[in-house]
Amino acid sequence: MKIKFKAIASLAIVAASTLILGSCSTGPDSSGHEYMPDMYRSPAIEPYVDYGEVRGREQEGVKMKISSLVPPHYTIPYFGTDSASVRLMLPYFRKANEAFKLTHGLYGADLTPADEYALAINDVNPLKLTADNSEAIFKKGKELFLANCSHCHGEKGDGNGPMVVSGAYAGVPDYKTVAAKEGQMFYSIYYGKGAMGSHSSILNKKEIWTIIHHIRKIQDDKYGTFDASGAMSAGSVTDSMPKPAASAGNPQ
Amino acid sequence: MKISNNQMFRNFNKWCLGILTVMLFTGSFNANAQGEGLFKAKCASCHQPHKDGTGPKLFQARTKWADAGAKEEIYKWVNNWESAAATNPYAASVAASTPNKMTSDPTLSKEQIDQIFDWVDAQPDPATMTEGTPTDGGPAGSATTTEESSNGWVWMLLGIIFVTIIMAVGGVRRQLKSVTGENLREGSTYTEEFRSWAWKYRKYVGFGGLVIFIGLCVTGILSLGTIGVVEEYQPSQPIAFPHDVHTGTNKIDCKYCHNTVTESRTASIPSVNVCMNCHKQINGRTAAQQEQIAKIYEAAGWDGKQYTGKTKEIIWNKVHVLPDHVYFNHSQHVVVGGVDCKQCHGDMTKMNGTAMVQPVSELNKIEGNIALTRPTLTMGWCIECHGEKEISTGTIDTKNDGYYNEIHKRLLNNDKALYGKYLDDGKVTVKELGGWECAKCHY
Repeated sequence: MKIKFKAIASLAIVAASTLILGSCSTGPDSSGHEYMPDMYRSPAIEPYVDYGEVRGREQEGVKMKISSLVPPHYTIPYFGTDSASVRLMLPYFRKANEAFKLTHGLYGADLTPADEYALAINDVNPLKLTADNSEAIFKKGKELFLANCSHCHGEKGDGNGPMVVSGAYAGVPDYKTVAAKEGQMFYSIYYGKGAMGSHSSILNKKEIWTIIHHIRKIQDDKYGTFDASGAMSAGSVTDSMPKPAASAGNPQ
Repeated sequence: MKISNNQMFRNFNKWCLGILTVMLFTGSFNANAQGEGLFKAKCASCHQPHKDGTGPKLFQARTKWADAGAKEEIYKWVNNWESAAATNPYAASVAASTPNKMTSDPTLSKEQIDQIFDWVDAQPDPATMTEGTPTDGGPAGSATTTEESSNGWVWMLLGIIFVTIIMAVGGVRRQLKSVTGENLREGSTYTEEFRSWAWKYRKYVGFGGLVIFIGLCVTGILSLGTIGVVEEYQPSQPIAFPHDVHTGTNKIDCKYCHNTVTESRTASIPSVNVCMNCHKQINGRTAAQQEQIAKIYEAAGWDGKQYTGKTKEIIWNKVHVLPDHVYFNHSQHVVVGGVDCKQCHGDMTKMNGTAMVQPVSELNKIEGNIALTRPTLTMGWCIECHGEKEISTGTIDTKNDGYYNEIHKRLLNNDKALYGKYLDDGKVTVKELGGWECAKCHY
């Protein structure tokens, strides 16, 4: 009787220790051991870290919450003291249409019932091209375009980006058929247009205007070239496009 | 997965149907070429033949309008939808069905509109075409991980069975011994028995014990070296994100989603509105994909037709975590240093799954990477690279007008001997500019 009990007890011990040892597995969810955990966890807020528990103190309010947050509304980032560049980076003065709430999810933004997309037709690119800076702007514009636009719009802007070629996405227009003026291009990139979403969260105003220089260069290779007298050619494509009819100006 | 004969036959039928449709379609291709061109130029940015996008699907739209008694109104709608909606009740109901406003085109003639709809109606439905064919991008990784963890259980079970057998045999032996009365004192325990056995064979037991002790010491010391090594760390994520589909098949630049990498210390995990820039239209081909993408829709508050405003956070688990006492800046490495993402993160175009800390052996296989020996994300790995990485390639005359051009100039002007010494191995490394100073990363 005594022996039987001992046998059962030792069996239980072996089983338990096998289980405990087995749980020390190196699965992909385990980041392994650390020397001094308190030197690994920052008490100051870092992005993408769960601060539900810091040094043993639990905080229910921030458990399972993103620690990187959107800046408060109307925050203006610091872009130096040069008044021209500060003006360029001030918040966009045109507001999105009220329909953008439902179509593009712009719930936090200031909205207007007016059709500001149509008004944007007269907005001009504040980044002025000169014979000196044009090369650098086009280079930067191409770089930004390749990173942010070309997977749908294609390197040549023909609407045949790798996403369209692979069959994942459809309905990207050819830039050559786009009637939008540069102010409307800005509005479309900033707030979105049709299937395209708002890109204001990933591109700042200067970057968008730089990309627009590149898009106009795609539409017409003559755009941004300088003749012997130093006068800039604005290219012909967008100017020769028919003016959009009144009903075509709806932001959609 | 096995496909039964029945299923195979059904798939075969589907294929035949698909091929027939394609044949029919190509037969009438010339007549439709005009319509296709017009559709792509005028309609395709919002409408698709078989899928609701910004605008509703156009497949057999004419029939729908005719059924609703508005056969002629559809032409009026295309030319000027607002006037059509004002006069016809069906047109008004279509206008109310979506918050998007269509861009009318008054220049299209009735024949041209018919050509467009002829082409649209001739399009085979991709949903029935692709069904049954293997599509890429499913969370195939999950199957292998469950297999691995079940393997562990098999070993554990085998271990338990093995131990049970040994114990049972031992018990039988004891019983036999007690029956025969061989060498067994009354009331002796397992411990006493073990002691007498160990004393009897003390030479072997002593030697074996020494070997085991040394072995334990060696493994202990070696395992100290794995502390702080996070290679192959791949925490589970709320959404099974396949990197290979996004950046491999669809060639999306890393910087599109991780867009702060050139501006900030961290490379940013995309917010859900960036996902929705594409996924507003792409809802997945297979059931597994649809299940994952539905989580994006839930987080974005997208109900399939419009945004509801009820958003939810997606809590991603951070993968590449450096201790708090290390300063690492992405923009510095990517913009100024010109280090490619794959040097540290591996070839994500082939990574079928969420991010993982790639082992250094995997990183070394990638073309263009500096070969390193220390485990990924350890300090040895960092400074090894700082000792190897050239700050800018080429001779001083051919250097680009970048950040390091200035440093090259200063070195050349201030201390030619030192610059010459640095260039002994043909390059100026990060280490030679203070890349091994403690305060470069720890402060």
